[in-house]
Amino acid sequence: MRVIRIIRSLQIGWTAARVWSMYKIPHWSKKLRGRELSASEWSVIHERAAQKTLDLALGLRGVMIKMCQAVATRADIFPPEIIDKLKQCHDAVPPKSFEIVRKIVESELGKSMDAVFSSFDPQPLASASLAQVHRARLVDGREVAVKVQYPDIETIIRTDLANMRRVCRVYEFFDPRPLPLLPLLSELTRHLGMELDFVREADCADRVRELFVDDPQVKIPAIHREWSTRRVLTMELVGGIKITEKKKIEAVGLVPAEVLQNLMYIYVRMILAAGFFQADPHPGNLFVSPTGQIVVLDFGLSKELPEGFGLGLFELMFSLMTFNESAMVRAFDELGFRSKTGDKTTFVAIARRMVNRSDTGAFEGELTEDMTDELFEAIREDPVAEVPSDFVLVARVFSLLSGIAHSLGSRANILQAMSGGGPAPSLES
Amino acid sequence: MPPTLVYTPEQLLSSRVLAEPLIANGVRCHGGFDADGHYRSPRTLCRAPAIEAWQAQLSEEGHGLLEVPSRAMPPQYPNAAQAKLLLRHGVREPLVRSLTIISIVEGFGAIIRDVQVPDLEELFVEPLSGTALTHLQSGLFEAHARDESGYRDEGGHKQMWEAARDSALENPHIPGDVLMRLMGRRSQGARPAPVFPEIGQPLERMLGFMANVLVVEVFAEETFRWGMDILSDPEVSAAPEIAGDMISYIQADEKPHVEYLRTALSEVSARTIKTVEGGTIPGKQVIDALMHRILEQATRTRPADQRDDLRENLAESIRTATHPSALQDDFDALETPWAPPTRTGFEAAEDAA
Ligand SMILES: Nc1ncnc2c1ncn2[C@@H]1O[C@H](COP(=O)(O)OP(=O)(O)O)[C@@H](O)[C@H]1O
Ligand SMILES: [Fe+2]
Ligand SMILES: [Fe+2]
Repeated sequence: MRVIRIIRSLQIGWTAARVWSMYKIPHWSKKLRGRELSASEWSVIHERAAQKTLDLALGLRGVMIKMCQAVATRADIFPPEIIDKLKQCHDAVPPKSFEIVRKIVESELGKSMDAVFSSFDPQPLASASLAQVHRARLVDGREVAVKVQYPDIETIIRTDLANMRRVCRVYEFFDPRPLPLLPLLSELTRHLGMELDFVREADCADRVRELFVDDPQVKIPAIHREWSTRRVLTMELVGGIKITEKKKIEAVGLVPAEVLQNLMYIYVRMILAAGFFQADPHPGNLFVSPTGQIVVLDFGLSKELPEGFGLGLFELMFSLMTFNESAMVRAFDELGFRSKTGDKTTFVAIARRMVNRSDTGAFEGELTEDMTDELFEAIREDPVAEVPSDFVLVARVFSLLSGIAHSLGSRANILQAMSGGGPAPSLES
Repeated sequence: MPPTLVYTPEQLLSSRVLAEPLIANGVRCHGGFDADGHYRSPRTLCRAPAIEAWQAQLSEEGHGLLEVPSRAMPPQYPNAAQAKLLLRHGVREPLVRSLTIISIVEGFGAIIRDVQVPDLEELFVEPLSGTALTHLQSGLFEAHARDESGYRDEGGHKQMWEAARDSALENPHIPGDVLMRLMGRRSQGARPAPVFPEIGQPLERMLGFMANVLVVEVFAEETFRWGMDILSDPEVSAAPEIAGDMISYIQADEKPHVEYLRTALSEVSARTIKTVEGGTIPGKQVIDALMHRILEQATRTRPADQRDDLRENLAESIRTATHPSALQDDFDALETPWAPPTRTGFEAAEDAA
């Protein structure tokens, strides 16, 4: 363990030093010759640096991958070359052997496997960066999915986080105009802390289930608390069609556009109306049942928004969709966006730019990845000091949803979703 | 010279030059004041005479304008007396919630700019030249949308309602459940089947949407009366004059919405629609049926549902008062019973007898 730790630290440190020198050496040498780097020269450097980082992340996995993914969501801070490269960062972890899984489950539950499960599939259903999921059957016959956290993952993560923090500090010390990596790392540390605690995950699942208790169109798997701990989560086994499989959705007689509106309704209700949401709507976490019910999984990353934030988000989206620049400026302010100078002209400019972009004459109510990218880019170019981190998370959610919309060949209309999929509230009949 | 019947979108969106803009609680809004200090609605320089001209032409051709009966207007709940009672007892949340929801619903009126307008000339037997109908997509819907939700650097009705609320109630805290209330329950099941499959979906949808908005706009009169009654009462409002005036400006702006919608729908009533199978159907038959259905829904079940929906919430707010049970009794005593009219006025000829 110790050796691995040292190797990991060295690898991270070494890559960091290489990446940093990629930036600084050409910059200094040009400076010596009295010339600044051109945009295209910068672009090449960004791309090479991102590639190096990506290679390292794919080698080390764990936190490095998460960090790359976190960077990739921050078009407001990092240049597009880096974002595009790091967006490719996906995790593919070989599963742990059944013996290891058995050991964790038994030590966590304090019982032998046979005392709890009448059967337990040794082959995992899925494996991700922190845990793997097995299909099993409780002794009372109920079918369950058991999410089992990898052994030592918490230690590995803590080590990686500590290393990365050290590297970031060194970087901030040496770079006169450092990119704000440390705040990003703190945010990541918070999120990983949440994801590693399955009791919290179970609580979040219950909370969202409660929100949709009257809604037959939504399903959140029930949690078997007696067989769950911080590292083992036993829940009702659910299934269905993966949400992006348009052909299969159509094959069972469902209309993809309606499935999408249903999904949008669920997220709008969670984010804008309830202020508490599952923040990870990637296609692996969403299924559609043959009756059109949407199954939401994976509450590891769930977030509570500050009071009034949902209404602020609504105002921002609404002002954008109705081409109302001044309302958009007020919404930015309400949400906690701050400019460096403290004046509003920055946001007036951004609002104008966003409104121009959406002013195609239609009130389509979609917040696409393109749009958030554009917003973030506008922010990066203008001297905006602060994008609230809750906003980043929400923007990522809507980007993921519009990605799903794209797979389904439809549009993710947020405002229409507010009326439950029908026409907008004032015009409901 | 006969009045002009044809306008460009730019004309229908143009405003007169004003002496002073309307600033609502610090927010620049549309419209403003002329040299005499009278409020002038936005985008009415040509829109107002245009609507008059279309109406005049309709009447010259011997057709009337359809009328949404004002006795069908359901009352606001809680009514003005009840709302004032609550305010006097320091219970502000219900009114703040209602006003916020009104402002958002006004803003949603902007989706009218997304209504799909089919090629109308193809769908009618009679010509359409010089009618409001031919101007829906070239100016009228867009002007309406801008009035409701504001445009560019000017606020619209959404912002004006917010200003009335915030000045009268001194920038109150907005309850966190506003959007939850607005979203309500999800509409279950499939969309209603078309009433007139023979005229084609796009036309029925457009006419249904317009009829729906017309009813909403006419019924809004009741909301304006209610809002002005409460917010211009110095006993409960911190800015009786400003807030009351603000609502009267919104009311003035809504006038052209009601007028162009009823004009366009009356123009349909006065014409003959070609069916998809190659036959015809009187426009009046279609419009009356749509209006009848919408008015029935808007008066029969919806007001009672909305009232029930609010009851529990109100009771909860009332419990925060010093003498909750006395307040609840007083509140209930102020309730004014209301029953929808038995007829909508748009019944088909056979059951009108
Ligand atoms: N209750 C369940 N029923 C069926 N499959 C499940 C269940 N929970 C998880 N899975 C499967 O396991 C995968 C990973 O689970 P998830 O909770 O998303 O873990 P992670 O947080 O590591 O992404 C899911 O994408 C899904 O395919
Ligand atoms: Fe309005
Ligand atoms: Fe209106």
